[in-house]
Amino acid sequence: MTVTEAPRDVADVTAVETETEPAAPAGLAALVGSGDPRVTGALFVSTSLLFLLVSGVSGVLVGFEQIDLSSADDVLASDTFAQVFTLHTVAGLFLGVLPLLLGIATAVVPLQVGASTIAFPRASAAAYWTYLVSGGLLLAGYAVNGGPFGGDEGGVALFITSLIALLAALCVATVSVMTTVISLRAPGMSLRRTPLFSWSMLVAGSVWLLTLPMLGGLLLLVYLDFTYGQVFLGGASGVYERISWVFWQPTLYAFAVPALGIIADIVPVFAQTRHKRHRVAMFLIGLFGAASFGAWAQPGVALGEDAASPTPWRYDGPWIVVAFVAVLPVLGLLGLWTATLRAGRPRLASPLLFALVAGALLLLGVVAGVGTVIEDLDLAGTTWMTGQMYAVLAATLTAALGGLAFWAPKLYGSLLPEGSTRLIATLLLVGTAALALPYGIAGLLDQPEWLTGSAGDLDDVDTIEVLNLVAAIGGAVVVAAGLLAVVAVARAAWGRRPATTHDDPWNGHTLEWATSSPPPVGNFAGGALPEITSEAPLYDTRHAQLTATSPEASAR
Amino acid sequence: MTTVPANGAVDVLSAAPAPPPPRPRVLLVGTLLAGGAASAAICAMVALYTQVRAERLAQGESWLPEETILPLTPGNMAMVTLLMSAVTVAWAVYALRNNDRPHAYLALGLSLMFGAAFITDAAYLWQEMGLGIRDSYQAVLIYGITGVHVAMVGAGMLYLVVMGFRALGGQLTGRAAEGMSAAVLFWYVTIAVYSVIWYAIYVTK
Repeated sequence: MTVTEAPRDVADVTAVETETEPAAPAGLAALVGSGDPRVTGALFVSTSLLFLLVSGVSGVLVGFEQIDLSSADDVLASDTFAQVFTLHTVAGLFLGVLPLLLGIATAVVPLQVGASTIAFPRASAAAYWTYLVSGGLLLAGYAVNGGPFGGDEGGVALFITSLIALLAALCVATVSVMTTVISLRAPGMSLRRTPLFSWSMLVAGSVWLLTLPMLGGLLLLVYLDFTYGQVFLGGASGVYERISWVFWQPTLYAFAVPALGIIADIVPVFAQTRHKRHRVAMFLIGLFGAASFGAWAQPGVALGEDAASPTPWRYDGPWIVVAFVAVLPVLGLLGLWTATLRAGRPRLASPLLFALVAGALLLLGVVAGVGTVIEDLDLAGTTWMTGQMYAVLAATLTAALGGLAFWAPKLYGSLLPEGSTRLIATLLLVGTAALALPYGIAGLLDQPEWLTGSAGDLDDVDTIEVLNLVAAIGGAVVVAAGLLAVVAVARAAWGRRPATTHDDPWNGHTLEWATSSPPPVGNFAGGALPEITSEAPLYDTRHAQLTATSPEASAR
Repeated sequence: MTTVPANGAVDVLSAAPAPPPPRPRVLLVGTLLAGGAASAAICAMVALYTQVRAERLAQGESWLPEETILPLTPGNMAMVTLLMSAVTVAWAVYALRNNDRPHAYLALGLSLMFGAAFITDAAYLWQEMGLGIRDSYQAVLIYGITGVHVAMVGAGMLYLVVMGFRALGGQLTGRAAEGMSAAVLFWYVTIAVYSVIWYAIYVTK
């Protein structure tokens, strides 16, 4: 058979196909339709920072309300005080800290493990949009006098249902990140060679997937109980009781596990040496995660005459053991990081500053946790626990912001401004110390967690009021740091970008630094990855090159 | 330059990029994690149920309101139904892995039938109890827990149907039957969760 027409070249075929393809969506359509984990992660990060500001402002209002213990209605009406307090804690954790960590993980973990994308990218994107909508509805619930202790039944029900949806979204995002670590690691990257942030997300995710659904299941029963008129679980004023256990140790620690991973990834890079005892560090992070599973530490449900006084197991054996065990991994990791810094040549850039501040705050938090379980001190139910909560959550937030400063080139293609980030880290340290320590001391003076409008039977009211004033100012400083963080991230994401001079500005050790900043679609152009023979493949490659080009090698 | 074979066809395929390597166990791992999360939610509800029940019994009162019957027979039948479905879903995966599609579809159909039978059984049990959800907090707990589990069974059936259609469409084969394995794994989790409910609510009452 004679060919009468010249066959088209492959390139021509491609060109024709490209011409007929619909134009790629742009603007909002591109944002909504994107399954790119970098986009999803950046959305999680920016939204969570805004929600954190809402939480922070409500916390400052609560703080200033508590300054004058003898009078109510100074800043907040007495009937809204409890609502604003719960808005502060619930939004801070479920709308702020957790999504911030998940956002960083969504963008960074696939790069760290050498995957082309995250597992279930569309589910991950759907999780973000569910988080956004349910977060908005949760705030709307408060706005219509709902939420815990709210007076509007519809608003209370809206709060509960939106929180359940929010928890489901966070679980889906967690499943995506965990599956990426388990199943999408590059050839050569065994679990033992997994970067410590990815490992910490695997550990934390395991605890979160046991904890958050439990909270969701209980909230569903609370919703049914509230909606169908039995209210044996306490009605609107009992909602927070079913939630509050996540703000206590040990569950509180579960949200700090990724902070350990972030610090552990930052320290060796800025020490310019390997992480000391990488496998020991993995074990210690795992131990901290195991100690942080605390669904058992919930207040019980009491019926009949005891209905007003459900008893948490604050001085029982498991509670005490966990409080002491949780200190060990933090101390061990701090020791390893000190050894790593001593072995290398540290350079104090902003990510390392964040890491050091976060490590110090976390140590403060877990040590304070030991004080909580010593029955003779009788600190359970006092502001000592509030101070501990602030220390642990602020440590996690500080580490997350350090992670943002570290991985900003991967998320935004440019570094965060160094001056601003150093100022943020300093403000977080000063603000958190001023927030947590006075509450701790006030707890030693028996100030209860919930107190407004009456000094009760407190002995040293004047001292406590001064401490509360310092704590309120400390809270305002933390909010100011959060505001600066929002500005810094906004400038990196949407402002005039100082072009990153290098894809790897920090001389990183792990795979995310083996690709461009920001990474292309598919993460690694051409799928090219360095050989992975240890937990720090880029460090290995760099040192092999240095060894090969050294004068001794040339002489040989 | 593209070669032109003797028959004149353009050899485009050889110039195309290699397909991406298959992603092992992604769906299986994701399903395991999601199933674990779902079972954690239901187990927390069951834990609250048993705690409230223990509290009430400690006060010397009976757990269920008067004239409320929690019959064991439908609960047992539901358990047996799900156990039978555990065999048929395993059969479906086995048949699919051996490229025995007729038997795979038959096993899948039987599994779905057992799933539907379970839901019918649950609905019958709710009717038999004679307990309105507004009547007592025991009703809130029982309907809450069993209702969520029925929803989980529904999700499991949907998962099986989707994977069945993917098998029909040729996406699942003897060598690549991971999707069906994942759906079956979720089904097993559903059965395991029901065994907890069955013991905590129907057997120990």
